[in-house]
Amino acid sequence: MMPRIFAALGMIACVFGMGFLIMGPVASANPAPDPVYAKECSACHIAYPAQFLPKRSWDRIIGSLDKHFGENATLPPKSLVSIKTYLDGHAADASDPNSRIMREVAASQTPARITEMPFWTHIHGRLLARHAFDAPKVKSASNCSACHRGAATGHFGDDD
Amino acid sequence: MNMRIAAACVLAVIIPALAYAGAAQKPVLDAYAAQAKAEQAGFAGFSVERGKAFFLAKHDASAETPSCTTCHTNDPTKPGQTRAGKDVAPMAVSKTQDRFTDAEKVEKWFTRNCQSVVGRACTAQEKGDFITFMASL
Repeated sequence: MMPRIFAALGMIACVFGMGFLIMGPVASANPAPDPVYAKECSACHIAYPAQFLPKRSWDRIIGSLDKHFGENATLPPKSLVSIKTYLDGHAADASDPNSRIMREVAASQTPARITEMPFWTHIHGRLLARHAFDAPKVKSASNCSACHRGAATGHFGDDD
Repeated sequence: MNMRIAAACVLAVIIPALAYAGAAQKPVLDAYAAQAKAEQAGFAGFSVERGKAFFLAKHDASAETPSCTTCHTNDPTKPGQTRAGKDVAPMAVSKTQDRFTDAEKVEKWFTRNCQSVVGRACTAQEKGDFITFMASL
């Protein structure tokens, strides 16, 4: 009997621990401090926190805005300068190439979108399997604000 | 005589109202009219009907955004929604008064959305027709 209780407690601790490890750095991603990034990149979706993708991913996204997930999202060069500076300085690997968000991202990989990042799929995998993002009120997994009410200001905790 | 006065009163109310509907959009529209004249010799002004047809048309350029209505819905007086689920304020000038008043912003969105939806840059006439339709609602 006792081993079973220990096993159950162990499982619970493990789940909470994993949740903390994964959500810890994510739950309060800083709001976008750069006004140009905040304005231009929030027209169609929230201004996603720079720290959710490595620099190499942002470089690819900024370099292909004419083919941005099925739409043309080109910007004037003057806007791109400050957006790139912000992204370079705050990307997931900007200050630490082994940051928590970068776990399980191979050096050879350049994730094309946040929903490909292991930290994201670990947390949202079950919702994906249940097609929860297809609900009309959600529309897309890109629509963080549908569930995370504080997403637009960088708050992704379950109670935000 | 009374009829004339009554008619004058009605016109006095209607004409400024009509002018007001597109007054803030006039500088942007005038600029597109000048371009349209340069682009095509027979340009004879913008058209609400052409703008409406263009807005509702289905294009072949993109599976994701085949029409303006993909995001803006069939009713420009209602809010739209981007593919990422974000609300878009109504395009109709009567609902969103500052639409088509910032030339740089207007050009940025025509540049993007014409490439996305139509697969090419729009002509000045298409842009002017579009704005004229939105200002008529």
